[in-house]
Amino acid sequence: MKPPAFDYIAADNLEGALSALSAAGGDGKVLAGGQSLMPMLNFRLARPSVLIDINRVPGLAYVEATGSTVKVGALTRHHALEMSPVIKTHLPVVAAAMQHVAHLAIRNRGTIGGSLSHADPAAELPMLTLLLDARIGIHSPRGRRITDAGDFFVTSLVTSLEEDEIVTDIEFPKPARESGWAFEEVARRAGDFALAAVGVTIDARDRKCEQARIGLMGVGETPVRAHEAEALLRGQRLSDTLLDEAVASIRSAIEPNTDLHASSDYRRHLAGVLAKKAIRDAWRRADGDRQ
Amino acid sequence: MTEVVTKQSAEEAALDERQTRPKNIGAKVKRTEDPRLLTGRGTYVDDRRTPDALHVAFRRSDHSHARILSIDVTAARAVPGVVAILTAKDLTEATPVHAESRMPSYYATPIRALASDKVRFVGEPVVAVVAESRYLAEDACELVEIAYDPLPVVTDPEAAVASDAALLHEEAGTNVLVQREFKRGEFETEMFAAPVRVKGRFRFHRKTPAAMENRCYLAEYDTGRDELTLHSSTQVPGIIRNALSEALGMPGHRLRVVAPDVGGGFGGKASLYPEELLVAFAARRLGRSVKWTSDRMEDLTATSHGFDEIIDAEMGLDHDGRVMALIADVIGDVGAYSIYPWTCALEPVQVVSFLPGPYRIQNYRGAVRAVATSKAPTGPYRGVGRPISTFVTERLLDMAARRIGVDAREIRLKNFIQDHEFPYRIGSGIVWDRSSFTDCLLAACKAVDYEALRRRQAEARSAGRWLGIGIASYAELTGIGSRISVAPGMPLNTGTETAKIRIDTTGGVTAAFGVASHGQGLETTLAQVVADKLGVRVEDVRIIQGDSNAVPNATGTYASRSTVLAGGAATLAARIVRGKAFKAAAHLLEASPDELVAEDGRIYVPNTNKTTTYKEVARAVYLEMGRLPPEVRGELEATSTYDPVLGTTTSSTHIAVLEVDPDTYTVRLEKFVVAEDCGKLINPLIVDGQVHGGVAQGIGAALYEEVVYDQQGQILTASLVDYVVPAAAEIPPMHVVHMETSSPAIGGYRGMGEGGTIGAPAAVANAIADALAPLDIEINELPVTPERLFRLIEAAKSRTGDEK
Ligand SMILES: Cc1cc2nc3c(=O)[nH]c(=O)nc-3n(C[C@H](O)[C@H](O)[C@H](O)COP(=O)(O)OP(=O)(O)OC[C@H]3O[C@@H](n4cnc5c(N)ncnc54)[C@H](O)[C@@H]3O)c2cc1C
Repeated sequence: MKPPAFDYIAADNLEGALSALSAAGGDGKVLAGGQSLMPMLNFRLARPSVLIDINRVPGLAYVEATGSTVKVGALTRHHALEMSPVIKTHLPVVAAAMQHVAHLAIRNRGTIGGSLSHADPAAELPMLTLLLDARIGIHSPRGRRITDAGDFFVTSLVTSLEEDEIVTDIEFPKPARESGWAFEEVARRAGDFALAAVGVTIDARDRKCEQARIGLMGVGETPVRAHEAEALLRGQRLSDTLLDEAVASIRSAIEPNTDLHASSDYRRHLAGVLAKKAIRDAWRRADGDRQ
Repeated sequence: MTEVVTKQSAEEAALDERQTRPKNIGAKVKRTEDPRLLTGRGTYVDDRRTPDALHVAFRRSDHSHARILSIDVTAARAVPGVVAILTAKDLTEATPVHAESRMPSYYATPIRALASDKVRFVGEPVVAVVAESRYLAEDACELVEIAYDPLPVVTDPEAAVASDAALLHEEAGTNVLVQREFKRGEFETEMFAAPVRVKGRFRFHRKTPAAMENRCYLAEYDTGRDELTLHSSTQVPGIIRNALSEALGMPGHRLRVVAPDVGGGFGGKASLYPEELLVAFAARRLGRSVKWTSDRMEDLTATSHGFDEIIDAEMGLDHDGRVMALIADVIGDVGAYSIYPWTCALEPVQVVSFLPGPYRIQNYRGAVRAVATSKAPTGPYRGVGRPISTFVTERLLDMAARRIGVDAREIRLKNFIQDHEFPYRIGSGIVWDRSSFTDCLLAACKAVDYEALRRRQAEARSAGRWLGIGIASYAELTGIGSRISVAPGMPLNTGTETAKIRIDTTGGVTAAFGVASHGQGLETTLAQVVADKLGVRVEDVRIIQGDSNAVPNATGTYASRSTVLAGGAATLAARIVRGKAFKAAAHLLEASPDELVAEDGRIYVPNTNKTTTYKEVARAVYLEMGRLPPEVRGELEATSTYDPVLGTTTSSTHIAVLEVDPDTYTVRLEKFVVAEDCGKLINPLIVDGQVHGGVAQGIGAALYEEVVYDQQGQILTASLVDYVVPAAAEIPPMHVVHMETSSPAIGGYRGMGEGGTIGAPAAVANAIADALAPLDIEINELPVTPERLFRLIEAAKSRTGDEK
């Protein structure tokens, strides 16, 4: 379990990283926290000829609130995001979900950009960007582009990133202050990738749902939004029948995989019970229960 | 003194009491090895710096069962830094090792360093690449080309038994490597007559020990002397030395096996491994030091697995819940080879040996077949057989209790062997000596407040919650002596242990043993015994262990033996050394040896000012010419060998309290209580730690851990992402209660290292079945993963039509 030989370049700035990456001509890999890349190298599943370490690139690790958004630098560590007061205030669902990401030692190293680029379908951050309609900032020698999270995740471990592109930032629209939220996950052990997880935000007025967002992970090749169930909730009041309808819609919309840890049927079952609980809790918060 | 001592007299024990002021045995002494181990200053094999060592990488079989047609190493040899590439053809001078035994119908598979004409499991070493670094060795490994002719896989042990099944070892003529049967009483007629009969097919899936430290071997070779020292992360350095002597044709005085700090073993480091043989061969062949460190994938695929059994069992009871008969047929899936030295019989035979448990079950039949399959060999794993036998018997008792309508506690109390019945021979022939069978159960129930818990459960149930309480009681044979063989007729004495204690010129005490601590804290426990028996402080005693040179017949640490055997031997040897020191001290103090007392390193006559120290005595004996007469100037040294003959009976009751989530079907363990009787406690902190760790491992077996092979014999759990070991967050708070019934062994100790793993799987299984009693679900298969619970619960719901 030792990687084959590779060259190593520690970039001092973004331009240097981009030019090294493009010089590698598709045979280079960006090294961020290394928490996913190093195991892939050791298993010889990834065999890049050069690693471009971006850990010394300045200006890529930050969490900032602007007028209507929260911006996060790609090199921000999971733990920094988890502890950030800005996140706690504006994106409490992110703060809650981050506690389910791996273990503290891994959260201390793993980065937001790395998690998105790695695109594990059972990872929290990809689902959160999708749930919150985040926009992902990307640099290449050709300049900067911005993509919607919805267009970023192509399939398991595959994104729409080109070989010479680096993720630099993620921009989350700030939800309304009184927006309700919930995050529910089942994993085999604390810190494991989810068997299934659900994130929900609900905006309600007079107990009526104005907007619902429901994101799921671990139940397909990419994180997914339950658009049909979201539409079912819109304009409605919370009731058991409504919840059952939403759950049925979610269960029929997803096509989970079977693996060693859980069958497709069990994951579908979990998606339903977790969604039910998360919708109920988010709604309760939206109705003013701030606990 | 040369004879083996099997017991001590009451006078000898009384002498210790009179001549010392013991203060360590029974005290919560902090582990003296911990500052070293916890601050990164331990020395594991991989930490050893041998400047010119070569590194080995293995090309392993990716076939489950195949004939090796050809091996082409040309490209691999051309990689810069590669020193040698070895295949079985290069090792013709190496004698294969066999795990011999007298058992009838047993076939001992040859164990070689590298597969010779066939491969028999995915992960079996085929080619060894020796290079200047592990990186280069792995690069070259990829370039080795092996042509295989695939043979029919042998993955299903039940199918492998059939007469027309493909054979893994043609010479054996069958895949059944051994079969045995234990019978006692009128089991058939009693079963037939029993008004209540419960039965089931039980499945305990394959586990792997997954020690924190992977296996690591470093052979240092002295070409000038033709001497070889193998540094090995092993539990059994003495056994490995003997095997190497045979395989290499080298006498023991030029061969030494050292187990330095070892990061856990759990049985997985208690056997001889092909990699161990290869590293030693290669070092001698190349005249260089050679090292191999297992990576985690190799550990999960090629370290001995354990616990892979299918048990068809039936229990017959009378209307009151008294067991009338027990009948079981066991198939043990033992993997590809019969592991050295324990044989493949070890694990499955223990299942039938211990099925009757601590209960009065006189009518018993237990039959077992150990079946070879094209999977990694199984070997000893903490608890050996007994986690499975306990799971089956404790489940059957709960199933019967539910059928009859008696409480789980009552049915056990009715069936326990009573105190006046000891020694008691159970249906399989094992003899229990007195131990707290009933008292452990009562103490555990008291500690959880059993009645209150049952009331809470009733309330939870009416609120739709699935709260379960699971009891498991068991007894185990520990500290076994020479009368009881781990595998009958194996060329190995596991029943004695030697202590060599000496006081040097500075007054320092060194005590050497054949045991090999790999996390149990034996450096502390044994120092406590030596300190008390000599009358010195714990810090005055240095324990030498984990070295085949420490004593002439060292085996190692396994089977919950070390404290009973080494503690006994230490007591005997320390007594002799103290006697010698007292003779010299008596001269110095002008007193009679009978008046003396030793305490904290001082030797004195109580109520006088006549006092000296061990240090002073040592100086007088060794350094000060003429101060003492010749007859008391002999070396302050003694060697004693102890054999507890039958060994000791350890007993325990575990209680698990848990809830199954009615939505997600995940299990949340709320509390775990253990009441155990390991006799006299030497160090309660260490005993608690062993119980905690054992229970955690048992919880792993119950809920998480499973080695999975697919139908092609490919292993699917080759990383710790897929082989799920519980971590701290998955383990509930534990409460341990100690009973301390003295045993007949010297010191009154009983072995206890394995126990936690024996009781926990059954307790958790019973608790889940209890939680799901409203759905009428039985738990017959472990681990009960969320997926298995999902299927059981969905099936039960569709049975009752209570679909939510
Ligand atoms: C035991 C364990 C458990 C884990 N559990 C979880 C979990 O429960 N949930 C979860 O979400 N994650 C989990 N992870 C993964 C962890 O969160 C990783 O940190 C994360 O997936 C990758 O981030 P990284 O910074 O370490 O990326 P790296 O490992 O450095 O890189 C990963 C990939 O992304 C590319 N990359 C990195 N940064 C960029 C960038 N800015 N632009 C373009 N490409 C880039 C790399 O080239 C590489 O291909 C776990 C990891 C481990 C080891």
